[in-house]
Amino acid sequence: MNNRCSILDGFITGNAVLSGFMVISPIIVCGNTIMNSLALIYAFSAITFLSVTIGSFIPKKLSFGFKTIIHAVIASLVYIPVKMAAEEFFPGVIERIGIYFMLVAVNSIIVVQSQTKFHNMTKGKMTVSLICHILGFDVVMLVISAVRELLAYGTFCGRIVDADMFISGLGMPFGGFILLGLACGLYRSIVPSVKNDDIAGGGSNVSDF
Amino acid sequence: MFLISEFVVLLGANLILTQALGLSTLFIAAGSRKNLLWTALTISVFTTLGSFGACLINGLLPDKLYDIRLLLYILVIGAIYVILLTVLYFSDRKKFGTTRKYVHVSAFNCAVMGTLFTVSEKSADNMGAYVLAGAEAGIGFILAAFILTAAYRRLCSKEVPASFRGFPAMLVYLGIISMAVYALL
Repeated sequence: MNNRCSILDGFITGNAVLSGFMVISPIIVCGNTIMNSLALIYAFSAITFLSVTIGSFIPKKLSFGFKTIIHAVIASLVYIPVKMAAEEFFPGVIERIGIYFMLVAVNSIIVVQSQTKFHNMTKGKMTVSLICHILGFDVVMLVISAVRELLAYGTFCGRIVDADMFISGLGMPFGGFILLGLACGLYRSIVPSVKNDDIAGGGSNVSDF
Repeated sequence: MFLISEFVVLLGANLILTQALGLSTLFIAAGSRKNLLWTALTISVFTTLGSFGACLINGLLPDKLYDIRLLLYILVIGAIYVILLTVLYFSDRKKFGTTRKYVHVSAFNCAVMGTLFTVSEKSADNMGAYVLAGAEAGIGFILAAFILTAAYRRLCSKEVPASFRGFPAMLVYLGIISMAVYALL
């Protein structure tokens, strides 16, 4: 049971965004409409899954530094076809997202957690755990962007809804900071197993490196 | 007046407060003032030297190969990463165990990579402008680190409700500072 929990924890108790404080920049800046979030979810899911899976074949004997560089290079190579496909699926959205689309390729899950967490598991467990972590990010991204789009612009998926109250600041990065901070607090009060001293990087600290 | 206007420019160029770049790294390093300061300084080295490399790449790379820019930037940062680790190893082997962790944390993150892309979009095709913008981004990171350090203990104290203690409170705090910066611009 505990083993199953540790694999699935990326979805709830070990959520990459709300617990690990990873990949938060795209949510804060670009997660203000559902269309933006769908494009980022696609990019994050595809790049992270493929990069970590391919990276699992890197010999473990190599030093941490070299493995970090190789993981980043793999992610930047995976990024190229993902971006080309995204231009077909999300025309116009990629320009709006700008550099954040590329920055997804250097997220903490690929660069750090792949070595410290995922590649220490068996291939099967790694795949399940990785999918849970990705889904955890996807859900948070979608929920935060839906709330921001509704409250900031009075739209849902680009369609105008009958809303009486607008908080236009929520569409700005500072609105993203505040809303994500409040969401983290709410999440911690709902999920009791998350410790208050949890630290960024999925439990990483400077002294861990 | 000059100092005030320069301070406002630095706040405006601050990638953490205006673009939320490097937040994860800031939070990883936030555990102690020493960690925060050294991480911020190492990131400044990466952004400054990396901007130099970005300028060279942008000058040589044709527009139709735009998508491989990320790969080339990563190779540049990778080279700086290896050089910095080598320099630290040979300069003081006893302290290498301590100093290398700052290089590991600072190399591949949104603060450094985001700076290279932002600098490339804003700067003209001259090396000086690139390196200056890279250094400014690094100093902006140090400034944000100091702003966070100033409130770190209070935001982690028991006076803050348990579920908001620490990082949720820091996010709200940075949001309020970011709002103030937007008002200045």
